[in-house]
Amino acid sequence: MSSEVPPVPNRPRRRRPWEVAEWAIVAGAQFRHYLRTNRFLGLVGFVALVSAVWLFFLAEAGTGLVRLSFLNSVSEFLTDYSASTPLWIALAAALFGGDALSVDFNSPSGFFTLVLPVRRRTLLAGRFASASAVTFVVALEYTAFGVLGASFEFGRGALPWGPLGTSLLLALLFTLAAVSLATFFSAFFDVPATGVLVTVLVIVVGFSALQDVVQIAGYEPWWSLPYAGGAIASALDWAFTPKQVIDVGGGHFLTTWTATTNEGATIMAVYLLIFVLLTAILYQRKESKG
Amino acid sequence: MSGSEASIELAGVTKWYARGQTVLDRVSLDYRGRGAIGYLGPNGAGKSTTLKLLVGLLRPSEGTVRLNGADPFRDRATALWDVGAVIENPEAYGSETVFDALNRVGRLRGLGEEAIDADIDRCGSEIGLPPLGQRCGTLSKGQRQRVALAAAFMGDPKVLLLDEPTDGMDPAGRIHLRSVLRKRREDHLILMSSHLMADVTEVCDRLVFIDHGRILLEDSTEAVIGRTESKLLDVEFAAPVDPASLRALAPTVEEVEVLAERRVRLRFDGRAETRAKVLEECRRLGTLRSFTSAFTALEDAYLDVIGAGPRR
Repeated sequence: MSSEVPPVPNRPRRRRPWEVAEWAIVAGAQFRHYLRTNRFLGLVGFVALVSAVWLFFLAEAGTGLVRLSFLNSVSEFLTDYSASTPLWIALAAALFGGDALSVDFNSPSGFFTLVLPVRRRTLLAGRFASASAVTFVVALEYTAFGVLGASFEFGRGALPWGPLGTSLLLALLFTLAAVSLATFFSAFFDVPATGVLVTVLVIVVGFSALQDVVQIAGYEPWWSLPYAGGAIASALDWAFTPKQVIDVGGGHFLTTWTATTNEGATIMAVYLLIFVLLTAILYQRKESKG
Repeated sequence: MSGSEASIELAGVTKWYARGQTVLDRVSLDYRGRGAIGYLGPNGAGKSTTLKLLVGLLRPSEGTVRLNGADPFRDRATALWDVGAVIENPEAYGSETVFDALNRVGRLRGLGEEAIDADIDRCGSEIGLPPLGQRCGTLSKGQRQRVALAAAFMGDPKVLLLDEPTDGMDPAGRIHLRSVLRKRREDHLILMSSHLMADVTEVCDRLVFIDHGRILLEDSTEAVIGRTESKLLDVEFAAPVDPASLRALAPTVEEVEVLAERRVRLRFDGRAETRAKVLEECRRLGTLRSFTSAFTALEDAYLDVIGAGPRR
């Protein structure tokens, strides 16, 4: 630092960036920040650890036994594996989307960003895109281990690339829907940790518990996001039946539903639209009262 | 926007958070062009709330806020386009380097790559930046404040809104920043809040005093200091006086400070009649060579306007 004050320079020429360019700057910075956070590295590491242990025991069990367990069907193998994909996505969405907006109003980094000449809708779009991107990275990582396991057990030639592509597209849509719900909570609550916790409670615990009891009562849980997430796995199931009636004895029958690709995609899209809209309204009106 | 006059306007602004909790009460301010305004008041007076309203972090309950002619809550991009602000100890992402953080700010302010590099260089020489490759999460409080100030200066915005700008800085850094801001007030409009009177006295040409959400006084710095009755009287005796004899000045004199063998500084309540009484009592102690009102610091003015004692 010099002791003399330099003269105030001529004002630099500035041109207001296009909104898309602003979005790219916001999203890029947030994405790079997420990639360096302990929670991202921790989650990626945890998925890798769990999946590596899973692969180890697959190898330990031996190809023959594994194939028998899954009726010698790569479809059943991948369907079973992908049933957990929505859980990982929900967890990542909560971690990255659950405080994406509340940090603006409750942390020093918010005061760094919110004084810049950027529209709130641009900030929201940037945060949403970056939270979705890192969440999908986690989903891709988990899926990659499943594909690796399937190709190890059934051979590369047996991999169903078409259904896998459909499943991945559904995983992407589920990611967007889950992040939209998470960002809604982050816009609703002032404390960042609350948004994360409520997202986990709602998606992972609340929806799942309710949709089970609703099915016992004989209703299709079409309103549940995790139910829609079931389409990620069912897209890989060659013997898929959306509705099953099970005789549980005593003259009672239990009906279970599984979302079809179209049904799942529709529910996810509706969630996405509703919660992005609600989040935009909340975020636009949100104040820094701290 | 860049061609229009810089302006800060609050018209009858009231802000309440909940029933019975009014943090700003019909505050009106109107500044245009250039200059530096010091915004003074005790903790909880409403200074930060005013600044948050100006950058659109809060919405007024009543009244209107305009920054460079635009509503900062409804039209942030226009209102904040030519504004640099430091509010509530801001920090860049901890994982970002200092360069990345300032580069991001520069791009959002519409600077090209060359202009960003030039601006970062300028900020480095003006306010002293930590190493550009250092992660923001590892910076000290003072370093974070310098980065925040550099971010506010990027693109040379015409309006600067600074909440305790020297907070966390060492004395040398504070003195230097004051000189930077003094220079900038020549062609910028600066509104700064500070608890450090030296910052305000040196930098600001106008002062606004606020307490309990209400503006108590708004005037030029010189006029505020001038109108404040001096509470200090420097007296020089013709011969040395016994310090013990000075005790006789109590209770008219609140405090006696011996400056030299024959010179003392006396603190009293500032009233003219008390001043006359003090001088009369001093004459009883010895012949006076001279007496003069001591320099009235802004602290005195502050205490006069705001009042002393514990706040809420």
